[in-house]
Amino acid sequence: MKKLTLSVSSFAALALSLTMANTAFAESQVDYTKMSSKDLAEHLLFKTNSFKIDQPVQEGGTAGARLVQDEMQKLCTEFRGKRPDPETAAKVSKMARESIRYPEGGIKLGDWKIGRELAWSGFGYRVGHRNDDHSKAANGPGGNCYNCHQLATDRTGGNLGPSLTGYGKLRGNSEAIQKYTYDVIYNPHSLFACTNMPRIGANGVLTQEQISHIMAYLLDPESPVNK
Amino acid sequence: MSVRTYVLLLSALALGSAQASSEFADMAPEEILDRLIEDSSSAYLSQSPQNRQMMPDNPAYWVAEEGEELFSTPRGPNNVSLEGCDFGKGPGVLEGAYVELPRYFEDTGKVMDLETRLVHCMTTLQGFDKKDPAVKKRHGSGSDMMKLQTYIAMQSNGMEWNPPMDHPMEKAMRDAGEEIFYRRSGPMDFSCQTCHGTTGQRIRASVLPNINEPHEWTKAISWPAERAGHQNVRSTQHRVRGCLWQMRHPGIVAGSDASIALISYWTDAARGQPAILPDLKR
Repeated sequence: MKKLTLSVSSFAALALSLTMANTAFAESQVDYTKMSSKDLAEHLLFKTNSFKIDQPVQEGGTAGARLVQDEMQKLCTEFRGKRPDPETAAKVSKMARESIRYPEGGIKLGDWKIGRELAWSGFGYRVGHRNDDHSKAANGPGGNCYNCHQLATDRTGGNLGPSLTGYGKLRGNSEAIQKYTYDVIYNPHSLFACTNMPRIGANGVLTQEQISHIMAYLLDPESPVNK
Repeated sequence: MSVRTYVLLLSALALGSAQASSEFADMAPEEILDRLIEDSSSAYLSQSPQNRQMMPDNPAYWVAEEGEELFSTPRGPNNVSLEGCDFGKGPGVLEGAYVELPRYFEDTGKVMDLETRLVHCMTTLQGFDKKDPAVKKRHGSGSDMMKLQTYIAMQSNGMEWNPPMDHPMEKAMRDAGEEIFYRRSGPMDFSCQTCHGTTGQRIRASVLPNINEPHEWTKAISWPAERAGHQNVRSTQHRVRGCLWQMRHPGIVAGSDASIALISYWTDAARGQPAILPDLKR
């Protein structure tokens, strides 16, 4: 009778093919119809090569991180744009207030002329088929405020957010108003839980310096917003 | 009255009611839009009198004409036309096929939209390689893909969006798409709902469609459409890609399951409304 021997390399090949078969078996067992819609959504986002999750992004790291939800995003997703219940609202607002980082030396108003450009600019953080190169932006990526807000009347703003025309004229320039304005821009959930507005400061969309220029655009009596 | 008059009246009534169910199918895209505006007074639908004016001369018609020729031309290594391609209603049946997509296909075991189905037929029936420009180039009026998509979609103009929901896969994908639609993430904390959940919302000067308003949403999803500002006909997948780009989400892969799930949900949201194909947008 012939002795059946396995060489080391063919044993390794066999082990590898068994592992791969196992993986393929496991993957073919992913039955979309047996998953909850939430589980399937997460699976589609992360496990089906549906997104370019390995693409490098401007803030460092890879694009996949942008799909991972943090606590606020998970909580607020449930309300689908409607007002959250008071308990969730309180939780979200508290988290938001704790996230706010004030500038060294206190809140100061910057240059409204730079703020005007930053409020108008929708440049920055876009990835995928075309990546925004931040080194090309003289004042850094923009805040895109005009997308959602009407500000000065010489340009057209959106109405997803309230009009900010005459913002400083109506409110004055006090320390309290400056702090309020900074808080809303840095993390609007501190005052409006589950708002549609992005966490401009907390998410790192704008730096503290850039926020100071936006604040000047809003509060400086010389700014076109207040003329 | 005489029997002849009575019979004529009856047949006129029957014809009338048959026409009522397909009234939009006999209308040009701009006439469908006019009716929708009449019925809704929607700021979204009526925001561009200029675009409405251009619709009879939509450049997409030229693109569709080229698509018609491509469709029936034997092409690829196998030298066959696309007339053997099943878009869901049988091989070569185009009338009403687009408004019943995305749908589940037995031969692939997947829910597919028009673009993925076209890629499937071009590679399996016609034998093109996935990397062949004819298949790979998805965007631009000069691409085979846009010519074919525009032509095929046009055969569903005026018909009601009616993606099937009988197969469990169809329901699963649609429901996952709904989760994705409302899911907030990324540096701007956006979900699709952020912009598309309320009537009359405007980004700068552009009024946005509300997914909860079917007469708005049917125009919103009527792709392929000429993008006036791009001077190109654009596809549904192009729109998905563009949205995610502006939302600061990662780039989506064309024809991916996540894209199909989203398209499945948003087509279901327009169910029953007449499609406007080809459309003309800003």
